[in-house]
Amino acid sequence: MNREIAKELLTHVIDPEVLYHQAPCGYLTFTPDGTIIRINQTLLNWLDHTEEEVLYEKKFGDFLSKGGQIHYEMFFRPMLNVSGSVKELSYELKTKHGAFFHVLFGAVAIKNDQGHVIAVNAILTDNTDRKHYEKELLVARNQAEKDKRNMQFLADLTPDLIWTTTPDGEIDYINARFANYFQVAGRKFTQEQFLERIHDDDRAGFKTAWAEKLKCGEPFSYDLRLKNHNGEYRWHLVKSVPHYTDDREILKWFGSCTDINDHKLALTKKDEFISVASHELKTPLTTLMGILQVLDRIKSKPATPMLSEFIDRANKNAKKINSLVGELLNVGQLTAGQLRINKEWFNLYQLIDNCCQYVRTEDVFEIDVKGDQELQVLADAGRIEQVLINYINNAVKYAPNSGLLTISFKVHNEEIMVSVTDNGPGIPAEKIPHLFDRFYRIDSGGSQYAGLGLGLYICAEIVKKHGGRFGVNSELGKGSSFWFTLPIKEL
Amino acid sequence: MAVQLHPMESILKRNNVNVIGNGEQVMLFAHGFGCDQRSWQFIVDAFTEDYRVVLFDYVGSGKSDLSQYSSAKYGKLEGYAQDILDVCEALSLRDVIFVGHSVSAMIGALAAVREPRYFKKLVFIGPSPRYLNDEGYTGGFERTDLESLFEFMDSNYLGWSSTMAPVIMGNADRPELGSFLTNSFCATDPEVAREFARVTFFSDNRADLAKLTIESLTLQCEEDVIAPLAVGEYVNAHTPNNELVILKATGHCPHISEPGETIKAIKAFL
Repeated sequence: MNREIAKELLTHVIDPEVLYHQAPCGYLTFTPDGTIIRINQTLLNWLDHTEEEVLYEKKFGDFLSKGGQIHYEMFFRPMLNVSGSVKELSYELKTKHGAFFHVLFGAVAIKNDQGHVIAVNAILTDNTDRKHYEKELLVARNQAEKDKRNMQFLADLTPDLIWTTTPDGEIDYINARFANYFQVAGRKFTQEQFLERIHDDDRAGFKTAWAEKLKCGEPFSYDLRLKNHNGEYRWHLVKSVPHYTDDREILKWFGSCTDINDHKLALTKKDEFISVASHELKTPLTTLMGILQVLDRIKSKPATPMLSEFIDRANKNAKKINSLVGELLNVGQLTAGQLRINKEWFNLYQLIDNCCQYVRTEDVFEIDVKGDQELQVLADAGRIEQVLINYINNAVKYAPNSGLLTISFKVHNEEIMVSVTDNGPGIPAEKIPHLFDRFYRIDSGGSQYAGLGLGLYICAEIVKKHGGRFGVNSELGKGSSFWFTLPIKEL
Repeated sequence: MAVQLHPMESILKRNNVNVIGNGEQVMLFAHGFGCDQRSWQFIVDAFTEDYRVVLFDYVGSGKSDLSQYSSAKYGKLEGYAQDILDVCEALSLRDVIFVGHSVSAMIGALAAVREPRYFKKLVFIGPSPRYLNDEGYTGGFERTDLESLFEFMDSNYLGWSSTMAPVIMGNADRPELGSFLTNSFCATDPEVAREFARVTFFSDNRADLAKLTIESLTLQCEEDVIAPLAVGEYVNAHTPNNELVILKATGHCPHISEPGETIKAIKAFL
C-alpha cells in the first residue's frame, strides 16, 4: 500500500477517544479508595451498566465477589503501593444483573511527587474462555495424575518384578516388588547390580542372549536363578519386549521377572519321576523278556520241569508291570480330577481280611485284625481295598522285621478310624509331612526300595474323595501307625 | 559437615530479622497475612531516628527460611506467636513496643498474654479477634465468603502466570516458574499462604483479649471490609486498657495507603 494513503487512512482511524472506548479490552481509572472516575464503553458493556450509573457512584470493589474484595484489600492494594503495578490478576466481575464473568486484570499506580498513590489505571481482558480451558486443563491434569497413580498401583502390586530399560539396556524403572525382592533403596538399580544377582551358572548365558536381543530388537525370554535379599536363589522367567516409536526406533524395553521356582522344582521332580518310573518298569520287563527267551528255547521240550516255574515268574513280572502301569494311570486320573468313587455297602472286616490273605501266604508277617466283624460301611470298596493294600505293602516293605502287623478299626467321633500298625524302625519326624506328597520316596538309610512313590499320594486322594482324613503316627525304634478315617455321616 | 548455627543466629536467619534505627526503645513490627516486612517501608523511616526498629518475616513469608515451616506448628496462631517470642529472646529484647498489622495484632496479643515481660505497649492495626460472624457478634464474614476467598487464592496467588501455570503443569520440575514468587512482593509460598489464610480467618481469639495486661492501641479504618468498624469497637470494649483511634484512611492497610495519618496516630499513643 502506498505510504501516503496509509497515513491518510490512519488519521481517520486513530481517534484516541474512539480507540479508548471501542478497544477490545476494558479500561478503568479509580482513586485509591476504589471510586471509579473513568471507564470505557467496552467494560461498561461487559458490566451491563451505563456510564452515569458507574462514574463517581461505584467503587471497583462493588463489582467483586466477597472473596475478590478480600483479595483486593489484602493483596492488590499493598502490592500496588509497594511495586507500583500488578500484572495479570484473575478476577471475577459481577454484572448489573448478578452474572459473573472472568477478567485478567493489570493495573498501574499513578503517584504524586511524594510517592503517594493518587489514582490507579487498570486494563481488563475478558478471559472467560481462557478460564474455561484452564478448567479443562486442570481436569485433564487431574485425570492424568489419577491414571498415573492407578498405573503405579497396578505396576507395584502385580506379582511380577517389573522393569524398563533404555534402548541400550540400562534399567530406568523398577516396580515396588522388584525393589522389595532385591531390597534396593530409592528404586535405583543398575544393569551391573542385576547381573550380580544372577546365579553364577546362568549369568554368562543370560548376558550373551540379552546382548543379542538388544542388538536385533526381538522379544526375549530366559530362565535364570535370581538371588533375593536373603541370599536365596529362586528361579525366574525373565521376559522382555521392545517398544518401538513410529519410526521403528526402540524407545524402551519393557520387562518382567516371573517367579517360576515352584514350577521349575515340580518339573525337576517330574523328570526324576520319569526316570524312576522307566527304571522301575525296565527291571520286570527285562526279566520278563529273559524268561520269554528261555521259554522260546525250551518250547520244543514242554516236559521240562522248570516250565511251570518260568511261567510263574513271567506272570509275577507281568503283574508287577501291570500294577506299576495301574499306579501311573491312577495318578493320571487324579491329576485330571477324574478319580471316581462308587459307593456301596460292604463289610469292612471281611474286606480287610481279604487284603491280608496274600501277605499271610508269604508267611513272614502275623496279621492281627481288630474290629467289629459286623460293621457295614458305605464306601468304594475297591478303592478302600487299594488304600489298605498300600498301607500293608508299605509296612511289609519298610518294616520287614516287624513280625506283627495290627490292623484295627473303630467308630469314634462320627467317623470310622482304620489304622495299620507295625513294630518297625519308625519314621524320622522331618519326613512325616512329605509322606503323602506326590513322587515322594522315602530314602531310608541309603537302601533303595522299589516303587514309584505314588502309593500314599493315591491313598490320600482316595481318602480325601471320601471326605475322610489320613495321617501317620510314628516313633523311632517303636513303629509306625498309618491311619485313615471315613466319616459316618456320609454313610 | 553442616555448620551448626548458634540458636540466636539461627532464629535471626530463620525469620530474616533486620534491626535498624538509633534509639534505645525497641519497636517490633509484625506484618500481616499475605505480606512481609517490606509492607512497613512507608512508615518505618518515621521511627528510626528515635527507636531501634526490629523487622522480621514469619516463617513461610518473605525471605524467611521456608524449610523451617511445618503445618503442625503454623497450623495455629500460637505457632506464629512463638516466632515473635523467639525473636525477642534471640535479641534479648525487653519492654518492646509491638506494632502488629491485621492477623499480627492477635498474634502479638497471644505472645503478650503468654510472656508479658517482653512487652511495654501494643499497637493493633486493623485487628480482628474473629472474622466469622457468630451469634451476637459481627465479624464481617460468612463461611461461604471465606471459601470463596480460598478458591480465589488458589486460582490467583500473584497473578495468572505465576500461579496457574505451575498449578496446571505441576511445577516440581519447573523451578523457574516458582522463582516469580520470590521476586514479587508478598513472597509467600502458595501452599503456606493457603494455610496461613485458613488459620487467620478461622481463628477465634475473642477470649484472649480479656487476658491482656499490656496497654494497647487499636487503629481502625473508617471503611475496612476485612475488619469492619464493629470489630474494632469490639476489640476496644473487651480489651483492658485499650485505646481506639478511628482513621480516615480506607481499606485494611492504612500504614500503606495513608502512612502519614498512621504514623501520627502511633506517635500520639507513644
